[in-house]
Amino acid sequence: MRPMRVVADVSGLPRTVFGHRSLMWWGTLGFIVIEGSTLFICVASYFYLRRNFSTWPPEHVFRPALLIPTVQAVLMLASNIPMRWADRASSRMDIRGVRNGFLVCSVLAVIMTVLRWFEFKSLHVRWDSNAYGSVAWATLTAHGTLLVLEMAETIAFTVLLFKDTAEDRDLAGASDNALYWYFMTGVWIPLYVVVFLSPYFM
Amino acid sequence: MPIDVGRRPSVDHESVRLRLEETWHQPPGLWGWLTSVDHKSIGKRYIVTAMVFFLLGGLEAGVIRAQLARPENTLLGPDAYNQFFTMHGMTMMFLFAVPVVTALGLYLVPLMIGARNLAFPRLNAYGYWVYLAGGLFLYISFFLNTGPDTGWFSYVPLAGPEFSPGKRVDVYAQSITFTEIAALVAAVELIVTIFKNRAPGMTLNRMPLFVWAMLVQAFMVLFAMPWIATVTQLLAMDRLVATHFFNPAEGGDALLWQHLFWFFGHPEVYIILTPALGFVSMIVTTFTRRPVYGYPAMVLSLLSIGFLSFGLWVHHMFATGLPQLGQSFFTAASMMIAIPSGIQIFCWIATIWSGRPRFSVPFLFVLGFVVLFVIGGVTGVMVASVSFDQQVHDTYFVVAHFHYVLVGGAVFPLLGAFYYWFPKVTGRMLDERLGDWNFWLLFIGANLTFFPMHQLGLEGMPRRVYTYLQGTGWGDLNLLATIGAVLIVLGMVLFLVNVVMSLRRGALAGDDPWGADTLEWATTSPPPPYNFAYIPVVEGRAPLWEQSGELPAVAGLRTDVRDVLLTTMLDAEPDSVHRHPVPTIWPLLAAIATTILFVTLIFTPWGAVIGAPLLLLSLLGWGWPQGREHHEEVMVEQQG
Repeated sequence: MRPMRVVADVSGLPRTVFGHRSLMWWGTLGFIVIEGSTLFICVASYFYLRRNFSTWPPEHVFRPALLIPTVQAVLMLASNIPMRWADRASSRMDIRGVRNGFLVCSVLAVIMTVLRWFEFKSLHVRWDSNAYGSVAWATLTAHGTLLVLEMAETIAFTVLLFKDTAEDRDLAGASDNALYWYFMTGVWIPLYVVVFLSPYFM
Repeated sequence: MPIDVGRRPSVDHESVRLRLEETWHQPPGLWGWLTSVDHKSIGKRYIVTAMVFFLLGGLEAGVIRAQLARPENTLLGPDAYNQFFTMHGMTMMFLFAVPVVTALGLYLVPLMIGARNLAFPRLNAYGYWVYLAGGLFLYISFFLNTGPDTGWFSYVPLAGPEFSPGKRVDVYAQSITFTEIAALVAAVELIVTIFKNRAPGMTLNRMPLFVWAMLVQAFMVLFAMPWIATVTQLLAMDRLVATHFFNPAEGGDALLWQHLFWFFGHPEVYIILTPALGFVSMIVTTFTRRPVYGYPAMVLSLLSIGFLSFGLWVHHMFATGLPQLGQSFFTAASMMIAIPSGIQIFCWIATIWSGRPRFSVPFLFVLGFVVLFVIGGVTGVMVASVSFDQQVHDTYFVVAHFHYVLVGGAVFPLLGAFYYWFPKVTGRMLDERLGDWNFWLLFIGANLTFFPMHQLGLEGMPRRVYTYLQGTGWGDLNLLATIGAVLIVLGMVLFLVNVVMSLRRGALAGDDPWGADTLEWATTSPPPPYNFAYIPVVEGRAPLWEQSGELPAVAGLRTDVRDVLLTTMLDAEPDSVHRHPVPTIWPLLAAIATTILFVTLIFTPWGAVIGAPLLLLSLLGWGWPQGREHHEEVMVEQQG
């Protein structure tokens, strides 16, 4: 090994960092790109397949019901308030604030997962009826997978944060989890417009 | 630099090294192997696994060539032939080419940027296990006569439930999902490592060109692979739960498959090629003993290849009937990508011209690459023209073109890279004389195999036919191609002999046998588990040439835990200290859960009910903090 001479000391550098200074933030961003692409492909396929039908939804298929999907969309948007609150608490190293925020979001994630089940029913079409049904179900399922994953992660974080062994870096982790939450809930809004509203005007 | 302590005396602290060794070493035995999170250990097994698949893919090609050596041959029937060419394509694309270049990146990038490991070591382990599982799954299916048989791009409606009953296409779809997950996690791994783990002072402007190439490749993977992973799932759903994405009778669309597939499929070629361009730049630098001519032009070329490769996919679909404007656009885009490729070639030529070339084996492979890649590139510009493409579409001309590009453009630089970095990985040199023979056999063999295919294509021989009639007159050129394939096999046998012999008796390499300029040559061969005793500080693009004696370095990381230094993304200023994970079995368990999920999903949708909770549990086990210590004695590197 080449001989080395020390020119600087890094022992004083911080060990807990937030946002783009943290590795996990970048990793989360990477997975957001991957999963965002998957959802984009669903939407691209949706519009591509649209061209094969004279009406949309196809003949003999009812338009989707809007009540539950709209409640879900509002809930997704609103859930960003407690998550943002937890996120800000984490950067202040305020563990109580993070715990409370995560507790609320865990409950919301469970509710949203249950609502997703009813959203499938709101489509008024089966996945195997026609290509319209297939692509609508695929979009809901693809996003549903992210929702279930995020629910599991948020609940796990909540349990971790309530334990005595919680550390500073768990707070940074909670902040990275928040980034994913913003993505998962935010991306739902255009998907909601495409899957549930567009059949009313396309 | 936060705290500059000025120039201090040289440090060589044996005690620091011993403590680092203890902290970073891989546990012994099988358990240690299964739980390793060391990028070098995983990188090596990744490379070896990919090379085993390369040999299997090569054997399949050999059988194909044997079948085609003469007209009306009966070595393979049509069904077996379909499986063989599909397995050959899938193996080479999904199990060899992308994994092997990625694996070299996973091994080399941390060493080149002066880091102790990749950013997410457990994710790296998971990626390898998933890749291995995908490869085994494909080959076990093949040996059970359930090998995919619809070609590596598996067009619908042939691959749909109506025309391909049975499980062969499901094996295709699902084994691709395995390999794409592996590629995607590696891409995230590499991007974050390159952005955050570079040695202090290694600004983006000073990164070795191979690191740039891997960065561009990783971004391409990130944006391309989700397409294939998604489209194969749509196909699997059409087959398993009767969705209608590709079924025209219910509003589905066969061309949707082609668009989604080729939006991945064309960048795929450049995903394989881009790291190879990085190998070439590194080898040219070292063997001409001068920095590559036009560093900014090289970087910009890599970036533009990355961008442009996403705008070409429709040139695979010229025969499907496109609007005139679409044809013109994709012709222009396809020709345009020759510009950055050409810039790179001219920069290498200028480097060689103004340097003092040493014709060692790695450099020979680079020269072979330039010749073959230029030929493949020129035929690429030819098939970018719609009218020409319509004539040669699905003929052996196309087979000739992409084998020149892939064998010449990727396999030759890869073998050059093997000869170049083998000493670093193993501590021993590969034999030069055997290497010369290896090169010439491959070079002559590749030309003999693939050049006649241009003519066969022009004469109208279609690809993917298991035999041809006597009266076609294609027998002689096919025989010539098969003789070329025999030379390639001989060349690869020599390569294997060289590797096995050199591992035992090769000359000892020392740290830097080629007199190279990048950081991986500053550490021992093979490198210790912690890579560098002190994290080097970089002051230019060629740190080892610029600092002939001692390398500047930073101290202050803890030696009793796995501390790594994170730096800022653009300027690589020291920013924070991060604790790395210790060896763990969870990535393997998560990969097993992933395998259960994917394989059961081939047979029943209830596979999700069995597999998904297992996967979730394994991910929770993975993420759950283990063995938290509180007030231990803190040991840091000494500072001279």
